[in-house]
Order: sequence, then structure tokens, then C-alpha cells
Amino acid sequence: MKQSEVRATASAQRRWRQVKDGMTTATITGGGVGVLLSILLIFFYLLYEILPLFNSAGIESEEQYQLPVAAAPLYLAMEEQAEVGFRLAENGDAVFFNTENGQQVLKRSLPTTAAISSFALESEETRVFAVGMEDGRALLAKHDYRVSYPEDQRLITPSLRFPYGEAGMEISDAALSRLAVRDSEEALVVVAVSDGHLVGRRWTKEEDFLSEEITLVEENLALPTLDISADYLLIGPRQQWLYVLSQQGGYRLISLRSLEIVDRGEVTDGAALSDVRFLLGGISLLTADEDGSVSQWFVVRNAQQGGQYGLQFVRQFTAGGPSAMLLTEHRRKGFVSITDDGHLDIFYSTSQRRLLSEELELKNVLGMAISPRADRLLVELQGGEIRSFAVENEHPEVSWSVLWSKVWYESYPEPDYVWQSSAADNDFEPKYSFAPLAFGTLKAAFYAMLIAAPLAICGAIYTAYFMAPSLRRKVKPLIELMEALPTVILGFLAGLWLAPFIERNLPAVFSIFIALPVGILIFAWLWSRLPVSVSRRVPEGWHPLLLVPVVIGLVIACVELSAPMERAFFAGDMRAWLTNDLGISFDQRNALVVGVAMGFAVIPTIFSIAEDAIFSVPKHLSYGSLALGATPWQSLVGVVMPTASPGIFSALMIGMGRAVGETMIVLMATGNTPIMDANIFEGMRTLAANIAVEIGETEVDSSHYRVLFLAAFVLFMFTFVVNTVAETVRQRLRQRYGNL
Amino acid sequence: MTVKFMDTNKTATAGHAIDMESLGRVRNEGSITDEDITLNVDGLDLYYGDKQALFDVNMEIPRQKVTAFIGPSGCGKSTLLRCFNRMNDLVDTCRVEGAIRLDGNDIYDRSVDVATLRRRVGMVFQKPNPFPKSIYENVAYGLRIQGVNKKRVLDEVVERSLRGAALWDEVKDRLHDNALGMSGGQQQRLVIARTIAVEPEVLLLDEPASALDPISTLKIEELINELKDKYTIVIVTHNMQQAARVSDYTAFMYMGKLIEFDNTDTLFTNPTNKQTEDYITGRYG
Repeated sequence: MKQSEVRATASAQRRWRQVKDGMTTATITGGGVGVLLSILLIFFYLLYEILPLFNSAGIESEEQYQLPVAAAPLYLAMEEQAEVGFRLAENGDAVFFNTENGQQVLKRSLPTTAAISSFALESEETRVFAVGMEDGRALLAKHDYRVSYPEDQRLITPSLRFPYGEAGMEISDAALSRLAVRDSEEALVVVAVSDGHLVGRRWTKEEDFLSEEITLVEENLALPTLDISADYLLIGPRQQWLYVLSQQGGYRLISLRSLEIVDRGEVTDGAALSDVRFLLGGISLLTADEDGSVSQWFVVRNAQQGGQYGLQFVRQFTAGGPSAMLLTEHRRKGFVSITDDGHLDIFYSTSQRRLLSEELELKNVLGMAISPRADRLLVELQGGEIRSFAVENEHPEVSWSVLWSKVWYESYPEPDYVWQSSAADNDFEPKYSFAPLAFGTLKAAFYAMLIAAPLAICGAIYTAYFMAPSLRRKVKPLIELMEALPTVILGFLAGLWLAPFIERNLPAVFSIFIALPVGILIFAWLWSRLPVSVSRRVPEGWHPLLLVPVVIGLVIACVELSAPMERAFFAGDMRAWLTNDLGISFDQRNALVVGVAMGFAVIPTIFSIAEDAIFSVPKHLSYGSLALGATPWQSLVGVVMPTASPGIFSALMIGMGRAVGETMIVLMATGNTPIMDANIFEGMRTLAANIAVEIGETEVDSSHYRVLFLAAFVLFMFTFVVNTVAETVRQRLRQRYGNL
Repeated sequence: MTVKFMDTNKTATAGHAIDMESLGRVRNEGSITDEDITLNVDGLDLYYGDKQALFDVNMEIPRQKVTAFIGPSGCGKSTLLRCFNRMNDLVDTCRVEGAIRLDGNDIYDRSVDVATLRRRVGMVFQKPNPFPKSIYENVAYGLRIQGVNKKRVLDEVVERSLRGAALWDEVKDRLHDNALGMSGGQQQRLVIARTIAVEPEVLLLDEPASALDPISTLKIEELINELKDKYTIVIVTHNMQQAARVSDYTAFMYMGKLIEFDNTDTLFTNPTNKQTEDYITGRYG
């Protein structure tokens, strides 16, 4: 070959090499950047789903029109689509109108027998209201809507109904100055103030089981005499409580069952009340006063006062000005306050958030209505002027305090951490506390690590440092193979086999924890006492095989002795003994089961990394230590372990990360009860399992849905922080013990 | 040169009997002088699994002298050295027959505590292997594992040992820095300081300077010269000049056999054996 040919081949070779180098660089860079990008993408996607939770509300002025009115409004409302509005005037005129332009759709007059002297709303959800008249009669009515689609166009036909007849019912012979009604499946209760006295009637509904016809059985309620003026009158939805409040802030809580005053006191410190409303569900009472504060109250059973019921102050909000008018949302625990001069605030009770505070520049606000979907607001001003606003308030339920602090939920005796995201009824208060979930996550991880860490680390030490290499070559892959076991199988076994087994053989579980270590030590001691001729038969580093029958024997013995032990020491049932004698409650699916099952899943991870770390400590280091006269144990503790510590630490952290993020095992073996209790015999619910349980049944883009994403984000941040801390610590350890 | 054959009477603890007469080869080992003998190797055979690595080695190592082992790679000199503190025990398949006596007691006897033996027979390896700890802790390590934790004692021993290893002046201001930050030569002297801190009787040096630069090598050699007043030193080296410079006695090994063992001057100037002569004149190795 000529010189020039050689050169040509060499340069072609060089070019080809450059191409290969370039391709490799591009692939590796692309892969790395891709991984970073996808992690960032997950991060941003989570943020994108979460951020709306923390948005505040928005309001936008829309239409403005005039309604032909003859009298001041008593009540203003809207139907589901917020297309048709309803206005009831003091003279009994009931008008349905188009909310966009004020066009009258239907006008009726209530069939009143005398002038209207009082008004009561049953609830926004049922759309039932009542008017009290000067002749002592009350009339119940309901504004109702029928939706049809002629020619594929939505047509809403309003109507006014009278569920108890157009004649009304007689309550008293004098004018009804205040009125309260509450209707339910069982009974209708009407309470009124007439001539300064409380009068009450209950109509119990009795259904004829053949004709299914309902007959009303009237009953007079002998209500106690009041020592305050009854300016606000409200009946709770279960017809148990009658709340009577005076303008000056005094209240009396009357039981409609015993007909006695159960509790009395003040809801303000002297300031006059401007409005009192039920929050959705009728459990919480909102009171607005002339100082501009809005307080939430509900009835709780006071443990200190011998289980007495009493009205309890829960939390306070500050309205935009004094003497606000209140309006509660129909489907959430939110409410709106508006002052006479048009300062509007939107609040949410559970999260204690002020979502909006806006000066609407209105004067003389007479009435207000919010649509059932809470997306439209109507305000009536002097002279029948109606202003309509679009409201944007998607996720008022979540705040930092809801997620991480104790919250006083309705009807709870005290503030607490609760996760309860859904319930059967619509007026339920969602409880989104991450505290029990985070606690459950850490608890599960803690018990798993408690079982996995010592076993895995000690196993790694023995395998890497003492075990015969030929045995190690078999043991290590075997344990690593455990990692390939799908966790769903582990969870399945834990939930369906291990949990009942532990429950049946509790004494065995305890005795195994004691008998195994003690038994192994005794066996080791006996072995060292054996004559050399016997002990020499097992070569150095093969001793663990001797323990296999010992461990199996001990476990079988413990299980076999379980029932006799239970009979001898625990009166035949250790579980009952734990609960009754020690006061430790016991769930079948508990942290112990999870600890064992998840420990089993985590062991291979920790073992594998820790074993590598210990095994890769350079031999010349341990030789150096041995050559100084150190025993193998001293060399291990003094030199090998410190040198391997970065690796062991990251093994533990990766194991921890796995335990925290593990889903299937905790899902199947914990019972998924979101409680905060460190008891090893109680279950828990973890963040990961919670997402898995609930994501399937939540409405897309609802607050609950976004809260689940927030849980995922918390989990993400948690592992991120744990890994960052772990990596930092590892780097520092490595600097200290590294560059060997 | 006086050739003294080993005492063939087996002690009760000796591994197996050696029939000296049956060994059909020149036995050039043995003690050359009437020096006080520290280590006595008696018919040592060593096997790695089925492969025999040392063949019937017999030699006597004099007290407070420097004895060098030379020979080509793989000749078994390091293996023999590691027999003196039983580091070969750590090799899984290694099996030793014969006896090595330290001050008359067989170190392969079952009653011997290996840890105690290794404290008496210290070893420095080819590659500097300071522990990933501070300089101070490296030197104090040997005492700490013996349960000495008094700061006063440790301070004193650390200073004495570092001075003994001619390292004190270089590190006295950074005793608590990580030992891994030192240069290779310093690390090796630190390892020597660490070894002499436990006051061994014998110091085994396994090619202590082969990983070091010439200046560090020189310092180590000077150090060996100083140390031989207190310790019996056995050094394995590839470097014949080094052996000639530092040792009093030299053993030449080849293919697992001890070929010749003599006074260093004699061995280098007037070797008895043809193989020795070939090796030291550079004909192979």
C-alpha cells in the first residue's frame, strides 16, 4: 500500500471516528437533558393542576337593568342556570325575570289573606320559603323550574308552587312578626313570634302504607317564654334546634325535642347584629354585626360541662364594613357579605379564606342573590335597579391552614386533623387535612424501616465482609431477585394472609421478635463451644446456612406455642387482652403488617446498595487495620463501616424514599384509615395510597381532584427534599472518607 | 559462609515433619552469623488451593537487622512476608504447612491469637493505605483498638511515632486534617508511624517505596536505617539497589523457593548460586 493510500484510509477512519463521537455525545446529552426535562415537566404539570387552588376569586360587572317594582324586596333568588331570577316583594308580588335583561317571564301574586309581616327561607337548596301574615297565618311556597328542550333550545319554565296548599296555615291569631320554617321527610315545623311570644307548630307527616297518602298531624309546640327580643329566628335542618337571637346579640338555644332553653349567651360583645344566616347544611350559624365582623357558631356537645349542648364560637371573619348583609352559597360552605355601600367580600368558612374584597360602588343595597353554582350574583338597589355580576370562585376550600393545621369542622367537639374528602350528602363539609396522610406515610415508612434497616444493613455487613465468596455469589443475586417481586403481590399477601395470620397468632409474633435474636445468639454460642473436629467441618463464611434450620425451627415453635401461650397468659385472647387490659386498640390491618410487608419490599434495595458499599471498601484498608492487630470486628467498625458510610446512608435514604412512595402494599394492607395514631396496631392512610384510592372517583378539575394533585406534589417534594438532603450528606461523607 | 541446617526436631505444634535428607536440592538458607534470631522459618510450604506457592522454605531472620527479600515477580517473596503476620489467613484458599517461630513460639499454633501476633509483627503495604481519618486518628488507631483512649497517652504516642517516622515536623500543624490529603510519600511514612505506634517487634515492609517518587523513596530508606535500631525489619523489594543500600541480609527467591540467603554484601558481590548471580547481574527478572 502506498503512503498516500495509507493516509487516505487514516483520514477516512478519523472522520468516521468523529461521526461516532459526535453521535454518542448527542445521544448521551439528549438523554440526560430529556430526563431533566421530563422531571421538570412533571413538576410543572403538577403545579399547573395545583395553582388554581390558591387563586382568589374574581368578580366582573355584567348587566344593569331596571325591574318594575312596587315594593321593597323580601327575597331574591336564581335558578340553576342563572338564567331566570325570582323576586318576592313585600306586597306579595312574585316575579320571575330574565337575569340578562330584566324581562319579566312570569308574575304571580302570593295568595295572601292579609299583609305580609314576616318572611322565612326554608333553605336555598329546597327553594321553599314562607311568609307570615298579619292575621297570624303562614303560607309556604316554592319557586320551581322545569327545563325542556324544544327545538334543541333550552327553555326554562318557572312556576310557583304551594307544597302545603294555597290557603296557608294558622299559627296564631295575632300578626307574625318573625317566622322560621323547616321542612323534612318526617315533619314540618313552623315557629313564629306573635305578639312578643314564641309560637310553634309541628305537623308530623304520617304516610298511609297502602295508599302512600300523607296526612299531617298537627301538634302545638309549647315553647318557653323568652327574656330577649326574638329578632332572628332559625330552625336547624334536623328540627332539633331553634336559634333565637336578639338584635343586641343575645341568643337562646332551644331544643325542639325537650322544648327547653339549652344554652344562652351573647354572640357579640355588645355590637348590634345586622344579619344572621345558616351556612350550607344548617349546622353553622353566621352572624354579622355593626362592627363589621362575621362570626361562625355551631352547636357542640361540651365535654367539660357533662355533655351539655351549647353554641360554640368557631371562627371570625372581617367583613368589608359595618352592618353587612350575608348570603350563603348553595353548594359549598362559602358566603358573601355586602355592606350597604356596596363593599363585597367572598369568604369560605372551612379554609377561613377571604377570597375577594371589592368595592362595587353601589348605594342602598336592598337584596342579593347568588346562583346555585355560585357563578353569578344579583344585587338589587333602590328603585328596582338590578346589577348582575359574574363570579369566578372555583376552589375556595383549600388553604395552608386547612392542609396542615387543626381545623374546627362543623359539629366536631374540637379542632382536629381530618381527611374526609367526600360523603353521601351534598351539604357535607370536605375535610382536606394532609396531616393524617403525611403522618400515615411517615408512620408506614418508619415501621417498614424499623424492620428493614437492621436486617438489610446487618445482612449486607455479613455478606460483604464475612461470608464466603462462593456463598456470597449465590446469596446476593437471590436477595436482589426479591426486588423484582411485584409489590401488588406483597400487598395482596400482606392484606389477605399475613394480617389475619398475625391477628390469630399475636403471641407468636411477639415471641418471634424475641426468640429469633436470642435463639440465634444461643446457637452461635453453642456452636463456638463445639469440639474443633465438628466446627471445622463448616468452612469459614458458610455458617449462615447452619442458621436456616434454627430460624425455621424457632418460627414453627413460636407459632405452635402461640395458642398455649395465649391461653396461659392472655386469658385465651391476646387481642382482647391488649384492648381491655392495656387499652391498646387493635386493627387487623395495622402498621405491623405494613412494616413486615413493606420491610420485605425495601430490604433488597437497602441490602443491595449497602452491600456494594461495604464490599467496595478497598481491601487494603481492612488489611491495614488487621495488620495493626485489630480483630475483624474492630476493622469493620473502625475502618470499613466509616468508609462505607456514604453508601450505607444513601442505601437507607433510597430505601426510605421507596417506603414513602410505595403504594400497592400500603393500599392493600393498611386499611386506609386516615387517623393520626402512632400505635403499631392501628392502620393508617398514606399520601400515595390516598391518591390511588380517590383519584378514580373524583370529578376532573374539582377541588378534590386538585387537592389529590397537591398530595402528589407534596409527595414529590418530600422525596425531592429527602433525596437532596441524602445526596448532600452523602457528598460530605464522601469528601470525608472518599478519594481512596 | 557457614551453612547451618535447621533443627529438624519437630516441636509439638509443628505442622508436619520434614525429612531434610529427602530434599534433593541445594539448601542455601540458614543463619549466617551467630546473631540473635527473631523469626525462624521451618520447612514452610504454602498452597493457594491446589497450587503450591512456597516450597520448603527454611530461614532465620536476625533481630534488629534489615533483611531484604529479592527475586522476580511472582517468586513468592511477598507471600512469604505475609506468612510472618498470618495475613495469608485472609486468602480463602490459602493453606500453610511447616512452622514459623517468633522468639521460639510457632505462630501457626492454634493457641495463637492472630490479632496479638499482628500487633507484634507490624506490616506496611506496597500502596500507602492510610485510613480515611485524620492524621492523628490514623496513628492513634492501633492504640484505640487496644482500648487505650487516654488523650495524654495518645498524644504522646502519636508524637513519638510521627517523630519516629520522620513525619512530625511536616504534619505537626495539621494533625487533625484528613490523612488522604497528604502526598504518597507522606502517606507511606504515616503508615509506618501508625505501625510503630503499637510498638511491634518486627516490621514487615512489602515493597514500601515502589509506588513512590525517588525523593520519597530516599526518605523511606533513611527511615528504615533509623528504625533498625529498634525493630527487626523484613523488606520485600523489587529494587536490588535498594536491597543493597538498606539491608544487612538478603534472601533471593525464585519460583517459590529460597535460593540463597546471605549477608547482603556477600550475596551481591559473591553469590554462591548461579541463579542468584544471573538475577543480580540482570540476566533475568
